[in-house]
Amino acid sequence: MSFAGILIELTLMPLVAFTIGLFMVLMMRKIAAKIQRRVGPPLLQPLYDIIKLYSKQTQTSHGLLHDIGIVMAVGGYIAAETMVPVPGMHGIADKAGLLTLAYVTMIPSLGLALGVGQCANPNGSIGISRALTAMLAYDVPFVIIIFGTAWFYGSNNLVEVVAAQQAGGIATWGVMQMPILAIAGLFSLYAMLGKQPFEIYVAPAEIATGPMVEMGGKFLGGLFVMQCFQLFTASAIYVSLFLGGGENWPFFIAKLFFIIAIPMSLAFLFPRYRTEDVLAAVWRWPVILGLAGVWLVMH
Amino acid sequence: MTDLRTIPVVAAGEERPSGGQGNLLARVFDELTAFCRSRSLFMLHYCTGCGAVELPPAMTSRFDMERLGIQPMVTPRQADILLVTGYVSTKTLKRIILTYEQMNSPKYVIGICSCTVNGGMYWQSYATAKKLNDYLPVDMYIAGCMPRPEAVISGLRELIANIRAGRSDYWRDYYRRYDHYLGNQQRLFGENWQTPTDVIAEARHYGLFGPETLGEHTALLEQHQTPLQPFEMRLGLKQDKGSSS
Amino acid sequence: MTTPLDLLLFTAAATVAGAFALGRWRDIAWLTGAFYIAQLIQLTGLDLPSASHAGFTLFGQLVGWQMDGFGRFFAIITVGAAAAATAYMGGEWGERYRQAGHSLVWLHGALAINVLAMLLLLAGNDLIALFIGWELTSWASFLLMAQGGERALRAALRYVPYAMGAAMAVLGGIVLTHAFTGTLQFTELAQRVPQLENWQLALMVTLFGVGFSIKMGLLPFHLWQAPAYAEAAGAGTSFLGAISARMGLFALALLLVKFVSLTRLADLEFVSGLFDARDLIAWVAAFTIVLPTFTALKQNDARYLLAWHGIGQGGYMLLGIVIGDATGSAGGLLHVFNYATYQAALVLSVFAVLHRTGTADLNSLGGLVTRMPLTFLVMLMGIIGLAGLPPMNGFVSKWLVYRSLMIEGRPLLFLMTVIGTLGTILSVYKLIHNTFLGQLRLEHEGIREAPWSMTIPMLVLVGIGFVTGVAPGLPLQWVNDAQAALGLPVLPHTLGGVESSQGGLDMLWVVGVLFAGFGIGALLFYGVGNRSKRIHQLDNYAGGHFLSADVRYHYSDHFYAGLMHRIGPLYRGSFTRLEEAVASANDTLAALMQAWYRQRVPMLTLLVAATAGLGWMVLQ
Repeated sequence: MSFAGILIELTLMPLVAFTIGLFMVLMMRKIAAKIQRRVGPPLLQPLYDIIKLYSKQTQTSHGLLHDIGIVMAVGGYIAAETMVPVPGMHGIADKAGLLTLAYVTMIPSLGLALGVGQCANPNGSIGISRALTAMLAYDVPFVIIIFGTAWFYGSNNLVEVVAAQQAGGIATWGVMQMPILAIAGLFSLYAMLGKQPFEIYVAPAEIATGPMVEMGGKFLGGLFVMQCFQLFTASAIYVSLFLGGGENWPFFIAKLFFIIAIPMSLAFLFPRYRTEDVLAAVWRWPVILGLAGVWLVMH
Repeated sequence: MTDLRTIPVVAAGEERPSGGQGNLLARVFDELTAFCRSRSLFMLHYCTGCGAVELPPAMTSRFDMERLGIQPMVTPRQADILLVTGYVSTKTLKRIILTYEQMNSPKYVIGICSCTVNGGMYWQSYATAKKLNDYLPVDMYIAGCMPRPEAVISGLRELIANIRAGRSDYWRDYYRRYDHYLGNQQRLFGENWQTPTDVIAEARHYGLFGPETLGEHTALLEQHQTPLQPFEMRLGLKQDKGSSS
Repeated sequence: MTTPLDLLLFTAAATVAGAFALGRWRDIAWLTGAFYIAQLIQLTGLDLPSASHAGFTLFGQLVGWQMDGFGRFFAIITVGAAAAATAYMGGEWGERYRQAGHSLVWLHGALAINVLAMLLLLAGNDLIALFIGWELTSWASFLLMAQGGERALRAALRYVPYAMGAAMAVLGGIVLTHAFTGTLQFTELAQRVPQLENWQLALMVTLFGVGFSIKMGLLPFHLWQAPAYAEAAGAGTSFLGAISARMGLFALALLLVKFVSLTRLADLEFVSGLFDARDLIAWVAAFTIVLPTFTALKQNDARYLLAWHGIGQGGYMLLGIVIGDATGSAGGLLHVFNYATYQAALVLSVFAVLHRTGTADLNSLGGLVTRMPLTFLVMLMGIIGLAGLPPMNGFVSKWLVYRSLMIEGRPLLFLMTVIGTLGTILSVYKLIHNTFLGQLRLEHEGIREAPWSMTIPMLVLVGIGFVTGVAPGLPLQWVNDAQAALGLPVLPHTLGGVESSQGGLDMLWVVGVLFAGFGIGALLFYGVGNRSKRIHQLDNYAGGHFLSADVRYHYSDHFYAGLMHRIGPLYRGSFTRLEEAVASANDTLAALMQAWYRQRVPMLTLLVAATAGLGWMVLQ
């Protein structure tokens, strides 16, 4: 593909991802509201929140690194999401691959961690320490799944993984070929999204929303934007690995929302785990399932 | 003691910062931000008294504040509304002022229950601040002992309407007449009163300076104020060469 | 006529001589630094393989030196690390070191001796030359470890029994090899060793393996390394941490890949068809990644934390080499280079903080980013490399190792490497958070940035780390030479990484898009919304509490409390106890011998010994 073509894709993909992410946030809040028998927020509420936060008159910064942390958090996800193929656009998916993607998604977390650290608030530091612990937890099953799928498709390239799945309709989807890995992946995705019961690093009543404790105005707005990208990226990776990726946009979007809806429907039924219980939960069943799935794939 | 209605929100001869001026694009932009500000309100409840009891029903399935874009938040940095729900003792008031100063503008204060209006049943207490708006600019009082959730919701709706119309700019008043508020605070807490926030520097930074930002009370503050300059990044190779580290 | 290698070794020897002869001169660092640069230039221009004229015959064996691509790869890193360390100690740091009553002459000298010894080891062309180099390197590194005070000496002394054990094992291995094959020349060994019987091979691999892995700090011989490296003098620590232990890896790779060959290694089966010696080494490497990394996580001293990570990172290198395909071995070898760049920089940055604040205790620092921004930048880029995240070079080499484990179908080993990486991320965040982030202490408000003599070498090192991360093709050329010299398949590469139909890596694009993303993020942040105002660190949320400078508002101790609730009981100190058990068994044995020989029946022992001696002489 021509250089200009890639550049156009690289501009379009973040816009699409952000829009979809906004509606995912809305869906999340709507699901919570429905479960709690409320009406829930209006259609454009996530957008209102972001605009309001960016338009705050006074903005409180704890220093240069606090700013850069937000820049890295948002920018890192904008970059990560161009490595996941969407219908009609591959971005740089075939130049990076699945493994690279898994590590690039850690960059925004690192950026955020630096920004929070500069805030000099122990609540934030505790939040980061818990967030990194949670990452250690859910990345173990996640990389097992990456290994299994890459082995199964004989490729680390997401474009090829998607093409292989679309070759024979639903029957060749990853979820049909590797159902056990798909279940483990869903569990890992659930923990990755950091909603109850895995909400250890936000924990509003305990550590005052952890990393967000000193974030106001456009700092918090940046994190809201990041959340949109994060929801999109996480679900798009899962869909690309197990649900046949995107044949066309309506199906692709439907799959994305479906896959986010599953953990969200469960999330608001639970209270919060303790940190060590998250480790126990994620290191037990998803890992066992993942390893079993890998064993099945390899034999 | 001031009357709420006499607070000059916009000083004479000054243009309103938002609404109606400039070119079309700027007006659309101003309208949009005003709309979004009114439709997305994060609130921080400073639940001191009995009024807090009325908030859960207002938030949960019966009345559901989230319909109006209002949701609870945890720290002052994230919040737009400071809800003070009950009597305010002297000690509590210090924390309320700190919390208010840490919030990002535009910010709104709502006093719920009679106690915030006039001390309520604590009128005769030596340890209770009687009128909240002596110390902070209050945007809305919701009176009652306690007000029912319907009243809370209707008060919030009125605040939304005010923000939408650009009538709720009382937070500017805190910067413009900081001397006045600081004076009242000093009268209550003593002359050594200081918060870790630097309101004057903020007013200077954002161009929110008014004729009464500085005065005799801020002069008093400056006499004993511990400096609060942020630590800027510095290489520090030149400025203090020779001094041992 | 002198060959290029002669010239190189001569330059290295001249560095030693210069360092000792002119050691009292104030600007000695310029001289030795220039000599190291000269060596570096000679190394990069070396024709491969390059032989030396120097040589002699010992017991009928020809002892000679010849440097091939594999040796040169390590030599470049060695000399580079020495150059950075020299620049670092050339300025204020060295001045302070001298004022503290230590000998800068000996530090410069020890460093130069180390470089010379390592070059001799790396250029060895037969097992005797290797052994000479090996011993010199061991004692030279002991010399460097012992510089800088009482604690350094004590830690270095702990290394001595390990080094002696290693020397004995290697010597035993050499004798065995000679007995089995009748030669000590590398080229002949490479042909004859694979022909040996399995039991002979197993014996050889065990003896050499134990000897070499002690130097490398492989499990379970790793205990000496962390204190010995951490307690040494700053610049020495950076050199030791960056390259010294890799000499063990060099020798091990030479043994396993060049002499024994990986296919023969796989013939030594423990469980038929399931588990062979190659698997065993791979698993030892994997455990060397995970266990020391999680030990590092618990350290409260920045120097120890880095030293423990150094042990852990060695596992990736060995693992990559033992996998032995083009991707994996390139990853393992490239990691030696990459690791050296960021580990040296990290150690130097920790010592820069130590230089300014007087402590490396992670519980008594914090908030230094505003006071030492350049050092912070160095540590930030260093930890990104150590954690193996893009855009630094550590990511590329680890990626190659992961990728080869994926291609070869080793899920559990792959999982171990990733767990090691995740543990590293946790641990290095704690390092940078506790040092540079959080609340600035009252007593540190007047701290200044480290002097340029310290920041420039660090910045150059992380600069190399960044450039070779964006364009890994540059060092991969040297890696290819090394692969070819070892007889491994060569990894075809591009400037940006690896091209492959099954998912390659193009770091130029990845980094480009990453920075474009940061650009958009910056545009969103700085372009939209009102200008932010910086505030004082005490203007902070504390639930309405009024913060003051005399009260610490910082989270540093027991940083991963929740994690430790779960994995804490797994830290049993088994290896420390094993070491203690061996030591006390040794003591007991010695006491018994002494009692037997000296106290109980001295006359009888003497008589027996004398008779036996006489008898032996007569029989001879």
